[in-house]
Amino acid sequence: MLTPLPQSKWNDATAAHLLNRAGFGGTPVEIERTRQKGLTAVVRDLVDVKNAAANVPPPAWAHPRNIREQRMEIKAAKDRGENFQQKVRQIRMMEGDEIVDLRRWWLDQMLNGPAPLLEKMTLFWHGHFATSIQKVRDAYWMWLQNDTIRRNAFGNFGALVKKISRDPAMMIYLDLQQSCQEHPNENWARELMELFTVGIGNYSEQDIRESARAFTGYRVDFTTQQFRFATFQQDHRSKTFMNENGNLNGDAIIDTLVAKTACAQFIGRKLWRFFVEDEPSSAVVDSVAATIRSHNFEMRPILRDIFSSAEFYSERAMGGQVKSPVQYIVQTSKLLDAPLPAPIAAQNAMRQMGQILFAPPNVKGWEGGKAWISTSTLLFRYNFANYLINGDASLPPNIWQPRQGADVGFGRAAQYAQQIKRDPIDVAKLVPNDARGKPRDVVDLLAKRFFPTPPADKELDAFAKYIQSRGPDVTDAALRELVHLMMSTPHFQLA
Amino acid sequence: MLGAAATWTVPVFLEKTFFALDALAADAATQTVTGKDGTILVVLQMAGGNDGLNTVVPYADDAYHVARPRLRLAADQVLKIGNHIALNPKLTGLKSLYDDGHLAVVQGVGYPNPNRSHFRSTEIWQTASDADRTESEGWLGRYFDNCCSGADPTVGVAIGEETPQAFAAKKPTGVTFSHPEQFRFRSSDPDAGRMNVEEIFFRQLNEPSAGDEGGTVATNAGGSIGTISGKAKNDLSALDFLQRTALDAQLSSDKILAIARKYRSTVPYPQGQLAASLNIIARMIAGGLPTRVYYASQGGFDTHAGQINTHERLMGEFNDAVAAFVADLKQEGNFERVLLMTFSEFGRRVQENANGGTDHGAAAPIFVLGGSVKAGLFGKYPSLTELDHGDLKFNTDFRSVYGTVLDRWLKAPSESVLGRKFPALGIV
Repeated sequence: MLTPLPQSKWNDATAAHLLNRAGFGGTPVEIERTRQKGLTAVVRDLVDVKNAAANVPPPAWAHPRNIREQRMEIKAAKDRGENFQQKVRQIRMMEGDEIVDLRRWWLDQMLNGPAPLLEKMTLFWHGHFATSIQKVRDAYWMWLQNDTIRRNAFGNFGALVKKISRDPAMMIYLDLQQSCQEHPNENWARELMELFTVGIGNYSEQDIRESARAFTGYRVDFTTQQFRFATFQQDHRSKTFMNENGNLNGDAIIDTLVAKTACAQFIGRKLWRFFVEDEPSSAVVDSVAATIRSHNFEMRPILRDIFSSAEFYSERAMGGQVKSPVQYIVQTSKLLDAPLPAPIAAQNAMRQMGQILFAPPNVKGWEGGKAWISTSTLLFRYNFANYLINGDASLPPNIWQPRQGADVGFGRAAQYAQQIKRDPIDVAKLVPNDARGKPRDVVDLLAKRFFPTPPADKELDAFAKYIQSRGPDVTDAALRELVHLMMSTPHFQLA
Repeated sequence: MLGAAATWTVPVFLEKTFFALDALAADAATQTVTGKDGTILVVLQMAGGNDGLNTVVPYADDAYHVARPRLRLAADQVLKIGNHIALNPKLTGLKSLYDDGHLAVVQGVGYPNPNRSHFRSTEIWQTASDADRTESEGWLGRYFDNCCSGADPTVGVAIGEETPQAFAAKKPTGVTFSHPEQFRFRSSDPDAGRMNVEEIFFRQLNEPSAGDEGGTVATNAGGSIGTISGKAKNDLSALDFLQRTALDAQLSSDKILAIARKYRSTVPYPQGQLAASLNIIARMIAGGLPTRVYYASQGGFDTHAGQINTHERLMGEFNDAVAAFVADLKQEGNFERVLLMTFSEFGRRVQENANGGTDHGAAAPIFVLGGSVKAGLFGKYPSLTELDHGDLKFNTDFRSVYGTVLDRWLKAPSESVLGRKFPALGIV
């Protein structure tokens, strides 16, 4: 079992760590408030949010459309020899705008919403049940999946898997909606086991074939954009799955999988990697798995346990995680006390840093950890920080070139160039004018804000020298440069 | 190159180490071959699904003319390279390469159970996975992981906005940039000159901190700057890893910028993105960047409608860019050690559609060219009448091409990269 964190260890550093990992970071004021509140109360606030917190109002465009009719109209125009290309283009443009907006909408929830851990768990499940707009090609379906995940993120894991098996975006992504008695599709069945529940090595090829038959008849209705069940497409014959026999359906397969010891281990390990550290010990995974099983795969108890444990606040874990690109964007906005980057800039940045919401690279989701960092992504982070701090004036003239390619939402950079205007940050919000006396005090104030653990003296000295080198008066411009320098360090990439 | 200030901002020991290590690596038993004087692979992606039938044209096949009433290229237009096979009329440069013995055409390349989604099929080509498996690492990433550990980060260079999935690796390596001058730290004040105060401090802050756990840059590891005291990158703490990568970024950025400023091609290149990318690559090769794999791409091949003009333009751009690149390599004496390989996620449907275009298909030819390539036609042109759902059936697995390039060109064991052995081709 995990060891509870002793009261004596609850301080600014541990409070900051909790805010970083169970949410998207905190400002010094928020850290102070969190510490004062006490660990138990704070964890309760994070985990026991009211169900209403999952009731996030959808973006205005997110409602079902009659896609069947839309497609038939295009086909009819095509058959009549009319110019249908324009109609197709219009739809593509709309899809592109919607997915940009959906990304804005979620980032906004992460930064400004009332339930940061709920958003963080939604992000965890998004990476777990990875589904991409690149194949789904409809932002409503992507929103719908996001909504389903958020409503079940803290609930029962088995129930969530069942909801996902009926989720149109996932069904399209893994070809489940085409699966019928004559041609059961094994794509979903395989990933359900390999990536979503028990992990590789815990099932046979036979299990894949048999369970694929159990998931036949799942359909997406293109008129309503909702799930429907086509009984006549379902394979009602007997199946043998992991020593069980009978007319098993999809839900029965999921129940069997979730009951396997390997499932709690698989999910427990992944949770720990996401929230705590890259390489969990087997002892820790065993404890987490045991807690998950003893609470029948309800997520709240294990989250409460993790965030109250001494292991979560270990020296190794604190400040030892590479910020994901999404974390980087949200947390940086918070720390700079500035708005999120313009939607198209945020999208481009996520792309360049290697984590575009709603477009994971494949069904395995994001690898995370050190894989976020390469020479290219690191330099991009440094230069993106420049834009976030100093605004669009910092951009080189030809950075927003139009791109070629068929990607949804990425094709119109030139048109978006007008939308990336950004003002320099107001540094007075970070360093009040009356606190600008001693360079070292300014550095300490900012370092406390921007770094997850105290920087080495050598670094602090370098920052102080920099401020001194900029002249006797600490100007706004010099402070912005200092903040850019702080963000352009390996240390800042950690949380 | 960096002005007087740099001589003290990049500590002398690092500069020395950086160059000393190359020399050391050359002597060490476990040396990593670098592209500085070893063989170099250039991968050219034709994104969107290039129409193989109108690239390498089966002009003597009646079925071709029947299936392509509007799009067909007539026998008197095409550039014949055999009794039945010809190149697209725009591919004049490739025709010369073929005649000179420097172009291999591998016909009917694909994989079992072809996927007709751009996204998925690109992923299959990039990761070299079976069609029913999902792999996270790219085939070139696995090559970097398995065969280039300790190599300079510029062992792989992708020209573009985004790192190709082919580069995805357990230990991320390789650099990506579209303009050399953008692959560098930009200070807050863009007008403050090349080496302003902020940049000087930036450099200090992005050096490995001597005395930290993990030690200083190793001079005895037998590798290059990618190692700390022989520790592999994946054993490092996140902070050590970040510091290492930050130093790599700084040094490779300096190197790339310096080469870009020093080496200018005297061969004229045409306009266009592909030509610009190949031009950067030629300059990096001329400047001795220790890169083994370069990656460039050309987009726009998804020709569902009005294919005739679009495809002609694309073929022209491709041909002219490659011809200039080859001329440049020859001029610099590098043609013999460079091999360029094209690929596209799929070919296109045999039967043209009602909009003067073609839909997503399957097997297609790929080009392999270079001074040391064995010219000729490889594989078999797929039948135009025995089709799989209207598409050409492959007869050469694309991983045979990858495997051959790995084994015979990069001298890397293909099995450890591709998971198994694929039949080799006589292209090199």
